[in-house]
Amino acid sequence: MAALVIAGALGVALRASGRRELHLLDGDSVWRLTYDVRFDVERPGARIRVALPADTPHSRVFRQDVSYSDLTAERMRPSRSESRELSLSAVRAGEYRIVARLDLHLCREARWQPNGPVGPLRADDRAQALRATPTIQVNSPAVENTLRSLRNAPGRSADLVHALFEFCAFELEPGGDTAPDDAAGALETGRAGPLGRVRAFVALCRASKMAARLVTGFEIRETAGLRPHTWAEVLVGEAWVPYDPENGYSGEMPHRFVPVRRDGVEIVHTSGARDLEASYALMRLPPGSGPWASRPRHVLDILDLTRLPLEVHQVLSLILLLPLGALVTSVFRTMIGIRTFGTFTPALIALSFVFADWRTGVLVFAAVLALGLASRSLLERLKLLMVPRLSVVLTLVVLSIVFLVSVLDYYGLTPSAQAVLLPMVILTMTVERFYVTTEEDGVRFALQLLGGTVLVAFCCFLVLCWNRVGRMLLAYPELHLFTLAALVLVGRYTGYRLSELWRFRDLAGPGSEDRRA
Amino acid sequence: MSPGRRWWAWPRELRRRGVLGLNGRNGEYVLPHNRRGHYPRVDDKALTKRICESKGIPVPKTYALVERYGDLARLPEMLDSQRQFVVKPARGSEGRGIVVVADHDGNTFSTAGGRTLTLADLRYHLSTVLSGLYSLGGQPDRAIVEQRIVRHPAFETVAVGGTPDIRIILYRTVPVMAMLRLPTAASRGRANLHQGAVAAGVDLRTGRTFGGVCQGRAVSEHPDTGASIDGLMVPCWDRLLAAAMDLAEAVELGYVGVDFVLDSTVGPVVLEANARPGLGIQVANRRGLVPRLEFLDRQPEAMFRGELRHELIARLAEL
Repeated sequence: MAALVIAGALGVALRASGRRELHLLDGDSVWRLTYDVRFDVERPGARIRVALPADTPHSRVFRQDVSYSDLTAERMRPSRSESRELSLSAVRAGEYRIVARLDLHLCREARWQPNGPVGPLRADDRAQALRATPTIQVNSPAVENTLRSLRNAPGRSADLVHALFEFCAFELEPGGDTAPDDAAGALETGRAGPLGRVRAFVALCRASKMAARLVTGFEIRETAGLRPHTWAEVLVGEAWVPYDPENGYSGEMPHRFVPVRRDGVEIVHTSGARDLEASYALMRLPPGSGPWASRPRHVLDILDLTRLPLEVHQVLSLILLLPLGALVTSVFRTMIGIRTFGTFTPALIALSFVFADWRTGVLVFAAVLALGLASRSLLERLKLLMVPRLSVVLTLVVLSIVFLVSVLDYYGLTPSAQAVLLPMVILTMTVERFYVTTEEDGVRFALQLLGGTVLVAFCCFLVLCWNRVGRMLLAYPELHLFTLAALVLVGRYTGYRLSELWRFRDLAGPGSEDRRA
Repeated sequence: MSPGRRWWAWPRELRRRGVLGLNGRNGEYVLPHNRRGHYPRVDDKALTKRICESKGIPVPKTYALVERYGDLARLPEMLDSQRQFVVKPARGSEGRGIVVVADHDGNTFSTAGGRTLTLADLRYHLSTVLSGLYSLGGQPDRAIVEQRIVRHPAFETVAVGGTPDIRIILYRTVPVMAMLRLPTAASRGRANLHQGAVAAGVDLRTGRTFGGVCQGRAVSEHPDTGASIDGLMVPCWDRLLAAAMDLAEAVELGYVGVDFVLDSTVGPVVLEANARPGLGIQVANRRGLVPRLEFLDRQPEAMFRGELRHELIARLAEL
């Protein structure tokens, strides 16, 4: 055990010092991008989608901290349009604030290969990238006229894109704030604001049957009053090629432009919320303040979990918390002496509650248990053999979970229709054990076990919710050597369990002194 | 004898009384002294019975061993010759899955508990046993159909709805503590302490009961009949001790509990053995196990052979 503790301390120390020694390469820089979003919600159910910077070959988010008190989050995932998005919903009316701190590593050379979708565009994505919208009026006369006037020049599509780009970049007059910011308006008047210019470009591309979309992002540079900038991407072959008619970049964006929202101009998109105020700020961080992947690839990088994409971070840190849940379970079992259904059932149930919304989880768990028990007692009459019987219960558990989620969604009781991934096999076994225990040892004992299970699950839940520790474990997974040491310690504990102080209470005290026949 | 009832005991008090806790039992006695590979000898009752039979230790007669679902078809002919029998899972625990048939006509079976089962019910029960519903860890199991023990008249007044049994805990093949367990109405005929049975400590030298425990509390009377459970004599005590020691030797487990029932004609027969026997026996005996276990650990190896062990038993009983 001492060896484990020493190894753990050594590992943490080595890694920490290794991190301090890492230097940024020339031309690299580290930035903190901050979103401060405020809004009002009048009716529960409002949804807020916050787009987060996408990883590019030149930039990478290496740390992310989003606080959204009282809002319910769906798991972060890349949306279909390749934007990394945080989807939130408000359960009650009131004022809300979201603060996101995103630390970026910007690099002059293309260093990373972000894994986006490869292969040809899906049909509906293509339709999406060709559609007309209220501000990109693909079918308006102004667009058709402009196209007709440009028609004589190019034959190949690449040339056509270029001609359209040059037209939008140079022929449309810069019009300041008063200029139209929609495509038709800009083309009619010949004057365009920044948004009008890029929308005109996208409209012209789409009218020429070329898939095009808006991309909104940030230019990473020292500036006061950071504002999102929108440029366009056109599908050429199987690749999206950026064009920025406002700044005059074509074919390639400078590395300091980081895309955030694809196919849209809003970084924060809301439905059902009012008075949205979003402000953004950029701050350059001192070198050495974070990104530990600023060296060439090395096989030892495998030991560094923080280099993995952020979506994986959340899952990994949750998984890394699970041993702590097991530690909690061990303490409860061997030092306190609380009995539960199944050894790791509480920890796994807690894990699923962390994954989904816990309120929904508790509701579904209770309902599934009740339904499962009811159906289990009906099943008893059928006299089925064990494995088929368990399978019937499993099927019923699955069906009830699915329909419960549907019911909750229908009545708007749940913030999201996100499937509650309760451990179904574990639930099935819990139903079976509960039933058998009720039959054999009485309802009291079964409820005792259930109470124990719920109590331990609750404590595991508290541990698993501990995001900060999870992130720390992700950075220093060797901390689990301490967990192992603690587990060994618990495993070698041969003292009394707390429950035994009660169980053997009659053996203490003078009243039970020698009485022999 | 009702001591000022308390809600808990301090660890210090329990240590002074030498009470063995679950962690202590597992960590210091079961894990070091019981080889995992020998567990099946006690976990599988069919195997335990075979070992007993080979050593001449009395056990209930086995009528049939049901191993496959296919055997269920032959059930009527298997049961034809016996009016009374017991069905039990080979790897069951805590008396679960045991059906005692008191009488039958081949189609309807009446249990000792007063229920009536049809042949189909019995067949279903056997199939759930085979599928492992009652077995440790839920593995597929075998079902033993065996002789029903005819209750010894000794405990007529204190056994309610079932057969009393005697549990002996042996450490390094020497009996260290014993108790008599009596079913109650609350335990539904089963003799398991945590299901509400009542138990009395048994003096190792004489086989006379003293003290008692029910539902975790010290008692001296049977909760249903009110009869004293103090000063009862367990018949054939010496034979019982000898059988327990023989079995402990045969299964090669350092810390083992052996359960006996008393048959009116044969006397003590072994029901089962247990590699992790419960600790309630300490409450029944009103004393902890630790002093006795430690006493044995101080004895020279030579004392653990043959008749010398009786000397140890006598000295243990004084502790």
